[in-house]
This record gives sequence, structure tokens and C-alpha cells, in this order.
Amino acid sequence: MDESTLVRHAANGDATAWEPLVLAHQEAVFRLSYLLLGDPDDAEDIAQETFLRAWNHLKRFDPTRPLRPWLLSIASNLASNRRRSAGRYVSALMRAFRNEPASSTSIEERSVQHIEASDLWKAVQNLGLPDQRIIYLRYFLDLSVNETAEVLQVAEGTIKSRLSRALERLRGIIQQDFPVLAERREGHDA
Amino acid sequence: MNELQRELFEKQLLSIAKGLEYPRTPDIARSVMRHPRFISRRLVWSLTLILVLCSSLMLIPPARAAIIEFIQIGVVRIFRAEPTPLTPPNAEFPSTMVPVTATPGPTSQPLIPILESLAGEMTLEEARQAVDYPILLPAYPSDIGQPDRVFVQDADGAMTILVWLDPQQPDDVLMSLHFIPHGSWAVKKVNPTLIQETTVNGQRAIWAVGPYPLRFSNGNLDFVRLIDGHVLIWAEGEITYRLETDLSLEEAVKVAESLEPIR
Repeated sequence: MDESTLVRHAANGDATAWEPLVLAHQEAVFRLSYLLLGDPDDAEDIAQETFLRAWNHLKRFDPTRPLRPWLLSIASNLASNRRRSAGRYVSALMRAFRNEPASSTSIEERSVQHIEASDLWKAVQNLGLPDQRIIYLRYFLDLSVNETAEVLQVAEGTIKSRLSRALERLRGIIQQDFPVLAERREGHDA
Repeated sequence: MNELQRELFEKQLLSIAKGLEYPRTPDIARSVMRHPRFISRRLVWSLTLILVLCSSLMLIPPARAAIIEFIQIGVVRIFRAEPTPLTPPNAEFPSTMVPVTATPGPTSQPLIPILESLAGEMTLEEARQAVDYPILLPAYPSDIGQPDRVFVQDADGAMTILVWLDPQQPDDVLMSLHFIPHGSWAVKKVNPTLIQETTVNGQRAIWAVGPYPLRFSNGNLDFVRLIDGHVLIWAEGEITYRLETDLSLEEAVKVAESLEPIR
């Protein structure tokens, strides 16, 4: 059964049609939430809430359209609200209380590729939220310009100009605050 | 950046970003399919609540392996600790109760100063205007009257806190009643310890011990209890109720079952 058929069934209350759709998109939704919030527990909460809200509003969704951009749009909005809410404070408090390590692997054990990616993520986190969103969608989740435009509900041309400005700012941050990453980039350029 | 440089930069970003280590994606589908809000579209709410509450186990770190079951009442998740006898109000808590949870212990601050510094105080009428659910008041005990203090705090949804002071000792809180809307972040990670299961209006309820995160006027949040007693937690519809009191369980249930719209 293709996605649009599953969406139609789910919109009519067929829960068995919704489960494969959740399974198909849960990773992308979780990862976007994680990128925006930086905490796996928060990301899980947001991902769950995304699919619950989508389920409750499926009747308003056009089943001929791809589901993923819509889900990512909901997740992005929820995660942005969460960033602003005091819930972040509680999460931090609970993490501190549990005394969990920030990462289960030591830096030494991680490959250069992972370190580069982690540095890039840190660099992106220095950008404003709109820039972060567009870069996560386009480069971390590897969405097309068209899909990114659907998630952010703006025209493709707007995405291109926003991307251009965001990339300029990101490049500046990398050059200024992440010299190692910039050097590696220049090494790749050579 | 010229066009060529930009294309190269974009390729590098795509390549580098692929190397990011994400946490393992949790089984979102499972939690969604078992969520009360999901099931409620298909089944009668009261029946499904009981089914869902009883059906889940969670993955937990080894350090907490002794606690593997939890019960969900509305938005509150309660971990079932080692069997614990029913504790009379104001008795000293058995050692197994608070420390076994992931919840910070209650503060030892005096209660009234805590109350004075809570954020979001308003009148009952203002609170009624501020929230999109009915604020209910207990009709039991018959002389309870309206709350002395009312707070509405943002917790991803407007959470209402009603506080009654002890007329004999105005420095003491007699009872507090929280209205927690569905979807609130505030309680997902707060794990009061189960003491006893009971019912309120025929719905499953929990008699528990545990502090709760409240927002203070300086912007901070802290885990506090307003009363050195127990907490009765139950849910009806989209609202989870949390009654903090030093009354006995039987009396607390009477209070809970007496809730009615403001006249």
C-alpha cells in the first residue's frame, strides 16, 4: 500500500495504517527534534507529540502530498516552542540529577568524521533559529530545496535566498570559531 | 562566496553532516500507538486508559533496574517501587520512597515563603479567563470555600494551582490542587513514588509522595511540595489533577470526588 493510501485509511481512523507511516518517518522526525533541542529525551517527547498531533489533524492533510515535510514542519514548530519553554530548564535539571555523561563514547574513540560533524553541529548552533532550521533540513537531513520549502511553508526562491544568507553566516562562524574545521575544509578544497 | 565556492561549501556540509552520531531512534511508533490520545479516537476513553496504563514497560539504566514498572495517570508517570505499606499522613517516609525515584527530594524550605515567591499569582476569576478548561472547586469539606491563593503557570499549557490556607494556622497550607493540561512537559520526567492505587469517580488514581516542579517569580524552577503530606493523582479527560494534602486517603478521595464547576 503506498503512502497516500495509508494516509487516507489513517485519516478515517484506521490505526493499523498509521503505524507503518510512523515507522517510516520516526527517524527523520526524531533527528530533526534532536538537532534543534540537543537532548534525546526532549527529542523523543517532541517526536511522539508530532505523530499524535498529526494523527489528530490527518483529516485536514491533503493525502496526495508527501507526508514527511508536514511531519517535519510540526516537529520543527513544537521543538521551537520547547526551546523557548521552561521545560528545557527541567530537562537540564533532570539530566544533571541523573548525572548522565554527555556522550557514551570518548572523543578518542570517535572517528575524525564524527568529530568534524560534531564541530559542524556546534557551529550551526551559533546561528539564529531560522538559520539552524534551514541548515538542519537541507544538509543534515538531506532534504531537497523543494522539500525544505514545504517544511518551512515558503516558496523555493525564498529558501534559496535564506540558504545563501545562512551559509554566509555559517562560513563566518566556522572561520572565526572553528579553525580546525575551517582548515580541514581548506584541505579538502586544495 | 561565488557560485562555485558555494556549491563546494554545500557539498562539504552534506558530506560532513552525514558523519553526525545521533542517539538511537526510540520506538516512537510503539509509544504513539499506545498513547491514550491515540487510542481515545477509537475506543471509549475510560476503558482504554486502564488498558494503556497497565501495558507498558520501559527501558531503564541498570542502576534503576529494580524499578521496571510504571503507571501513567494522565500526564503523570509513576514508578512502582518496592512494595510499601500505606503510610499515615505526616508519618516519616520509609527510606524506599523518595530516593528510589529519579526525582530530586523535596525541599526543606518553609512553605509560606515558597508560596510567596511562586510566579503567576492571580485571582480566581482571572485564572478562569486564562485557561481553556473549567476550574473546579471541591464541595467537600463543606466549609472549604474558595482557594486563598491562585496561580497559573506556563508548562506547555496553562497549569492552575489552587491553594487553601489553614484558617487556624494561616502560615500553613491546608491543601493544594493542581490542574495539569495534557501535553504539559512538567511531569513527564517527574516520578512520584507509588504508595497505593485507588479510584476517583471510578477512575484509576494514585496515592503518592513526591515533589513537583513549580516556577518562581525570579524565573527559576524548583521541585517543591507545598504540604508535608501525600498527593492524590487522577485524570479526567484532558486534565490531570494533583491534590496535595495531609488528609487521609479516604478524605482526599472525598475531596477529589466533590469537585464541581464554580457556581
